[in-house]
Amino acid sequence: MLSRFVARRFAAAVALAFGVVLVAFLLTNLVPGDPAAANLGQRAIEDPDAVAAFRRQYGLDQPLPVQFGRYLTNLLTGDLGRSQQTNRPVRTDLAEFGPASAELALTATAISLVLGIGLGTLAAVRRDGPIDQALRVVSLGGVSVPLFWLALIALYLLSFRLSLFPGAGRLGPGAPRPPSVTGMYTVDAALAGDWATFRSALGHVLLPAMVLAAYTIGLLTRFTRSSVLEVLGNDYVRAAHAKGLPVRLVVRRHVMRAALVPIITVVGTAFASLLAGTVLVEQIFSWPGIGSYAYRSATTLDLPAIMGVSLFVALVYIFVNFVVDVLYGVIDPRIRAS
Amino acid sequence: MSAHTAAGIPLTRRQRRLTRSAWRQPLAVIGLSIASVWLAIAALAPLIAPTDPILQESGRFLAPSAEHLMGTDGLGRDVLSRVLYGARISIPLAFMLVGLSVTVGATLGAAAGYVGGWLEEAVMRVVDLVFAFPPIILAMAVVAALGPDLRNAVLAIVVVSWPSYARVTRSLVLSLRSSEYVAASRLLGVSSARALVREVLPNVAGPVLVLATLELGNAVLLLSGLSFLGLGAVPPSPEWGAMVSEGARTFNFWWIGAFPGLAILTVVLAFNFLGDSLRDALDPQTSRAVRERAL
Repeated sequence: MLSRFVARRFAAAVALAFGVVLVAFLLTNLVPGDPAAANLGQRAIEDPDAVAAFRRQYGLDQPLPVQFGRYLTNLLTGDLGRSQQTNRPVRTDLAEFGPASAELALTATAISLVLGIGLGTLAAVRRDGPIDQALRVVSLGGVSVPLFWLALIALYLLSFRLSLFPGAGRLGPGAPRPPSVTGMYTVDAALAGDWATFRSALGHVLLPAMVLAAYTIGLLTRFTRSSVLEVLGNDYVRAAHAKGLPVRLVVRRHVMRAALVPIITVVGTAFASLLAGTVLVEQIFSWPGIGSYAYRSATTLDLPAIMGVSLFVALVYIFVNFVVDVLYGVIDPRIRAS
Repeated sequence: MSAHTAAGIPLTRRQRRLTRSAWRQPLAVIGLSIASVWLAIAALAPLIAPTDPILQESGRFLAPSAEHLMGTDGLGRDVLSRVLYGARISIPLAFMLVGLSVTVGATLGAAAGYVGGWLEEAVMRVVDLVFAFPPIILAMAVVAALGPDLRNAVLAIVVVSWPSYARVTRSLVLSLRSSEYVAASRLLGVSSARALVREVLPNVAGPVLVLATLELGNAVLLLSGLSFLGLGAVPPSPEWGAMVSEGARTFNFWWIGAFPGLAILTVVLAFNFLGDSLRDALDPQTSRAVRERAL
């Protein structure tokens, strides 16, 4: 039963991934702009032989399905094309910049989960009271604030003016780069037992992660609130109250257990939107991740790099959602049946 | 509070319910006020702005003062004038974006739900596909492929936003199609297309309106985000996202980026206050579909 459920979910994820690759292919190939024109210099464009050679070299003279087949085979071997900006394979760039973004997005996920679930539960328990109203404004503020602006203001005020946080970048000037294992400096420093570097890395990731988390904190607060409210209305919760259990105990022992299950489903969405948000936040903090890479690619119109980042983020998203779906099915057997 | 309008005409019960719940909802009033102020600014910008938004007349990098309330930017342009004129770009475009997305999404969603079969299958698979990308990422890829300008940014945002409306409309149409009163009108000999328009669509309007109000804010955020990435409005134009991006490059002169960002925040907040209150005021049962999608 469970293995069939997992197989079905896996097939759906693979189909979706195939569709995502097709979208990326169509975007790179069916656009009005001629790739030859975009990549060749002004003089080469006027030379029909050079254009034909370019088209032949990149297989652009083949019919579209053939081109797509080639694109797909290239992808399966990990070939995402070459970035015009760094003049390196996009795969190499993603491998270099990925861990920095993973560190940022994972820290932000942790922050949003703790704050979102905490505040959402508080709002539900104090339903319609002043705390609930205030939290409503806070969570709406979180989903309304432009992240790139929040990043700018936070860096200027909290770091530059008030020196509450270290400045941009991943490490302080004195801290050595930890030996690379995962590429995430906090984890690598901890693995190496270098606690001074660990503190520096953690201090640097905290502010950008909090800025990045603003949107998902807002989302999770709203979602947790409604999820907890739904559980609070159940008879068994009323029974627990009736037998005189303190509110704190009822919430922790009876309510949270049931309310947390649906929250798992939005964790995948939250992580994906955090990964996407790095595009708007990293550049401001000079954080050398795929977000900064995408920013530079966007401003220089480096199409292979942009498509590489989009594909990468979408595939990570599909993968995370697959894992979340399976987890959800494991926790709640009713999901498997439907 | 009187249950009569200024003209002394008694309100219908439905109107009374809506006004009453609006007063119980301070956020709706605040949202509506901020939105109205911004709409007025967008309409009257040429009259109230101190200078021309692209005029490079004064000293560069002047801090906010009585003369330049929000200072001047790196080209000596008045930031306040640019922020005010920026409303003429972001706000009308937000309405246009949502209008286009609702039209495309609701039409495809209603057709999918009502006709079913291969059409439904095709529409919903495309919806799934778009949802597989985080919005800003797909929008970025689409604009980059089409070429960076405001028109393509608008197109890209419509591409990423129509599926929400399609999903909500389809699920509502599906649940209504099998309802008894639609069956009854069909039995009375009403054609299927007519039943869709007369019986089903009016019931879809509420949740779609809620979603559309919430999406107004998202449209402003996406548009300014694309411009921040250099994929939206082109430089001389006083677009808020592009101005924040300029502010990020001139980090020490905080006012260049701070004020345009504040404009984005207040506009989006106003739309979200409104949408959220509207969601509460309308039937909570139908709003559930919207709430799920909003996540």
